[in-house]
Amino acid sequence: MSAGAVALYRRRVAIAVNRPIAIVSQVLSPVLWILVVGPALAAAFGGFARNLDYFTYAAIGQIVFIIPFSAMFAGLVVITDRDFGILRELLVAPIRRVTIPLANIAAVLTVAMGQLALIVVLAAARGAHLHTSPGRLVLALAAAALLSIATYGLAELLAYRITQPQIFGTLIPAIGATPYLLCGAIYPIATLPDGVRQFALALPWTHCVAVLRYGLMGSSASGLDAIWHLHSEVEMALLSVAVLLVFAGLTVGLALRAFSRATLR
Amino acid sequence: MPDPVVVEELTKTYPGGVQAVRGISFSVRPGEVFGLLGPNGAGKTTTIGVLTTLVRPSGGRALVGGHDVVADPLAARGSIGVVFQDSVLDNEFSGLANLRLHARLWRVPDADARIASLLAAVGLTERASDSVRTYSGGMRRRLEIARALMARPSVLFLDEPALGLDPIVRQELWQTIGALRAQEEVTVLLSTHYLEEAQSVCDRVAIVDRGEIIALDDPAGLIAAVGHQMLDLSVDDDATEVLAALRELGEPIRSGSTVSVASSESSEALTERVGALALSRLGVETMTVRPTTLNDVFLILTARRVAGHDAVAVGVGS
Repeated sequence: MSAGAVALYRRRVAIAVNRPIAIVSQVLSPVLWILVVGPALAAAFGGFARNLDYFTYAAIGQIVFIIPFSAMFAGLVVITDRDFGILRELLVAPIRRVTIPLANIAAVLTVAMGQLALIVVLAAARGAHLHTSPGRLVLALAAAALLSIATYGLAELLAYRITQPQIFGTLIPAIGATPYLLCGAIYPIATLPDGVRQFALALPWTHCVAVLRYGLMGSSASGLDAIWHLHSEVEMALLSVAVLLVFAGLTVGLALRAFSRATLR
Repeated sequence: MPDPVVVEELTKTYPGGVQAVRGISFSVRPGEVFGLLGPNGAGKTTTIGVLTTLVRPSGGRALVGGHDVVADPLAARGSIGVVFQDSVLDNEFSGLANLRLHARLWRVPDADARIASLLAAVGLTERASDSVRTYSGGMRRRLEIARALMARPSVLFLDEPALGLDPIVRQELWQTIGALRAQEEVTVLLSTHYLEEAQSVCDRVAIVDRGEIIALDDPAGLIAAVGHQMLDLSVDDDATEVLAALRELGEPIRSGSTVSVASSESSEALTERVGALALSRLGVETMTVRPTTLNDVFLILTARRVAGHDAVAVGVGS
């Protein structure tokens, strides 16, 4: 990374870190899930299909809540930078303009990895049964990273298209949190009605949570077979990572285009 | 030494067909303070937008620091500092952090010493660690000027730097700009619609109206071209006869209840000629003679344009 990119990256990370209220509010729900709700549901309903531990299953599901929600929330900084802040100063800096959104993405990704670590550590501390291997861990991290990049790309795209921050604010829960309810984060998508299941299969959230479970719990828990109906878990995990890659490429590409159009008249 | 800013036949038409800039040409000499003057919507900010690579020109050519702003925007941006019309500070951080970010983006060597020196120059050393949210309008402007000078730019762009500031703060700001300009040896291109302030700051000015330069010279030259004395007459509603009578002296312009005419004659000669017109019988209540200002020059030149006169009266393109 160039010195300019590093400076922009550090700025965005500092903005995230300097807002403790935002950090706490974003992680509050998943942390409550892990510490209270998940164990309570697991105790109330016992085991799960294929003798899976429901607490561990739902705890990993919290990752696909916090990462997109946080990424959408980070899109607000783009709007405040544009309307009330420093974007024009950055645009006259002797750096390639594309560095600005890419540094933003890198910063959001860093925050997402910290949130992922927080969820995993809390879940393990609360008794989650995590089983991983270097290869599966890499796939899980890749899936989480790509979901973060994809949803932040979407947030940047919307932030450059939407002029009013209050409208963007209403999209944060709609886009950041609603897919979490449909993607199999807290129950298997196989239980969904046909039409809804087809919709869920198109969501990158669904592919991410399946790869995360493959990576952190083991193949029998992943739910990848409900998506792809293939025999090889590795093959299915790679296919889901590919879906995430395409989605991330699409949203980031569109975001860069929107950035270019919004900043050079 | 080549001119740090060269603009040739620059045009900008925004989507929707609005022609903001219509073929303007000028150059800024090394070390001078050059003013783009004109009302809101004249095309000043668009011109600065092109020169700072924020606006893509529709036609023509612009060089900043010897670099074409379209062909080599990175190099052009590396040679400029910009103070924008609105305050453009990073409200999340302190004044010091704002300067540090700029220093990193522009790769300023020995940044800490440079920051300390500039903070002292703009009188913000004591407040450097405070959030810029707590700064007054004048303090924000001073910080932005310090930031724009951080990388020792060859050209400093000031887009309406005094806009929204009270008169005392505006005066302090111009003093700060003047002192820093002498210290930094930087070429300054500024836009403003405070014409009389520009008169005391600028070495040369271009008066811009509806996307075109209608006059370009040093302030004294512009004033001399229309007449260095200004006669103001206070009139009642129907000033038709007064306007007709004053055409013997020059081109009268009306602004509210005042009719003015510029003249190159001495104040004594002018008073004598006006006396001969016996204006009191036409309803003229008071009469004053005063030095012509750039504001008067602008009003006269734009009135000529409206009347369809030849606008190119005072050195356009020099």
